[in-house]
Amino acid sequence: MINHIPESRIDKKAIKAWRFSALIFGLLWFAPAIAYISISIGINKFDLILSILSVIPSLVLYLFIGLLVPNLRWQRWRYEVNDEAIDLLRGFVFKKRTVVPINRVQHVDTNQGPIYRKYGLSSVKISTAATTHEIPALDDETATEVRNKISQLVRQVKEDV
Amino acid sequence: MSEFRRQHWAAAVDRLFTAVRQNFVTFLILIFVGTRQAGGDYFVYVLMGTMALTFFSGIAGWYRFQYRISEGELQIKKGIFVRKKVYMAKERIQVIDVTEGLVQRVFGLVKVEVKTAGGGTESATINAMTFEEAEELKRELRNNDRVKIEGDELLEDEGVNTEEEFLDEWKISSKELVMAAFTSGNFGLIASILGALSGQLDAVITDETIEYIQGLLPGLNNFTLVATIVIVILLVSWTFSFLGVIFNYSDFSVKKTEKELLIRSGLIERKHITIPFDRIQAIRFVEGVLRQPLGCGMLYVESAGFEQNVKERSIVLVPFISHSMMHEFFDRFLSDFHIPELDVKPPSRSFLRYLRRPNYLLLAAIPIAWYFWDFGWLLTLLIIPATILGWLRYKDAGLYFDSKMITMQFRNFNRKTAFIRRKRVQVIEETINPFQERKNISSLSVTAASGAKGIAFSIDDLESTDVNRIRKWLLNGEMDYASTD
Repeated sequence: MINHIPESRIDKKAIKAWRFSALIFGLLWFAPAIAYISISIGINKFDLILSILSVIPSLVLYLFIGLLVPNLRWQRWRYEVNDEAIDLLRGFVFKKRTVVPINRVQHVDTNQGPIYRKYGLSSVKISTAATTHEIPALDDETATEVRNKISQLVRQVKEDV
Repeated sequence: MSEFRRQHWAAAVDRLFTAVRQNFVTFLILIFVGTRQAGGDYFVYVLMGTMALTFFSGIAGWYRFQYRISEGELQIKKGIFVRKKVYMAKERIQVIDVTEGLVQRVFGLVKVEVKTAGGGTESATINAMTFEEAEELKRELRNNDRVKIEGDELLEDEGVNTEEEFLDEWKISSKELVMAAFTSGNFGLIASILGALSGQLDAVITDETIEYIQGLLPGLNNFTLVATIVIVILLVSWTFSFLGVIFNYSDFSVKKTEKELLIRSGLIERKHITIPFDRIQAIRFVEGVLRQPLGCGMLYVESAGFEQNVKERSIVLVPFISHSMMHEFFDRFLSDFHIPELDVKPPSRSFLRYLRRPNYLLLAAIPIAWYFWDFGWLLTLLIIPATILGWLRYKDAGLYFDSKMITMQFRNFNRKTAFIRRKRVQVIEETINPFQERKNISSLSVTAASGAKGIAFSIDDLESTDVNRIRKWLLNGEMDYASTD
């Protein structure tokens, strides 16, 4: 039962939300190219070919991270909450599987940034005495459900002992 | 202790002393720069003003600081302009440290630090109280009818009977102390100093300085000059770490009571640390590069607390102990733990991965160095020690687990062994990269609580089925040898 892969996926809107934020914050990738171009104009040595060349790596990175990565990330992300543990599987190059036993959980909360709010998404944050873990991008209802489920399980387990 | 009371006035002295000590270098620089310029007089006034301000804030801070124990809480009121109240419930308290600093020793007093687990609260420090008061404080804060343990079970205590009785004591001999000091050379530190200096060498080693030094010491060529500099740096840093160990761990002892370990150490600043057994998160044995050939190392204990700083997070349990003595020490002081044979090892198909891993960084560095420096190609020689390191890491990696605890051994430079009770394992993480996936191996990381954050122990390239077994074990304590997947 434990060797199986966690079954719940995160919300599909995650792709859109991640894409949106990557396309906004990804504009920073162009900073070096813009700096180069503006300086070259400033000292009157503007060179069209070099300028285009300097933009290309940023553009490739921008499009890759903005368009492809959210899809890959979503593909891999799985989670499961049962009465024994919280099980997280993620990462499209480095597969990462994290297991947090329920009775080590200290608190759970849900978070929503401005971009997640736009898409009606929330993330669930799970803290132990040592670490914090996040299940990103669940729709608001599911996030609340997961949070309540975890905190209820935690209470149950602690009473049992 | 149910009434609010003030600290001994030496607390104000200590504050002033600490402020001066912390800003000593700044003071020196300011005095040096300030008095050299025109209008240095003003500067002296500013300096004196600052000193006076520090002095009065020290006194005001002392006056405002009040503490008491009431309703099972340590309550502290403090703050000069912004008044602050700190309440610490005694069942949340993890560790109580008692330190006799320089100032405290002059007045025959101690400093008490009370630490709770994580969660953004700070530790409460009472800077000056008498030893008797400190003992009373400790007694009251320990005196629980019921102790609730972080994250797991409830323990029944024997009520008020907490009169402490020392059951056992462990000391280190002066020979061991000197050995510990001798072998304390911190290679990481030395390497970083050398690295920082090598960047500056070009500026320092000019033709003129070389001629000057050669004039002083004939017979030196460039090579011996560099070698001399390196040796001098090694000697100086080694001397510092030697003295550091002597100062920190002189007069060392570990005592055991029914429920706690009491550690005492220090020559000038003497520390007393109390760790209840049920607050021990993990035990860690570190065999330094110089110590391992002697079969010795340092034993640490991890406990949850608010420290962010890695160095302060782990408490030294025994500064120097040999492999053979460890069994005895565990039997006498850490009966919850034992030292097992490591039976889960990385499989032989991980061997080459272990050899390659330390070389990846070199692979990136060599071409760059080759291109930029005349003798950059010499970096390729580092492949040999890096490969040996990889071989050692493979040889040392291993783990053991039973229904109660897990033991993990691994090496970065120093060989480390971690002992964690199953109930204290917070998180287990398995990482698989595409190359590992093909070979069915994965890396394991086990995290225990330590300080405000956790401390992670990891072993690379283990059999994936073994990692699966450990994941199951974490949840139910069973060691399932027949893999069921």
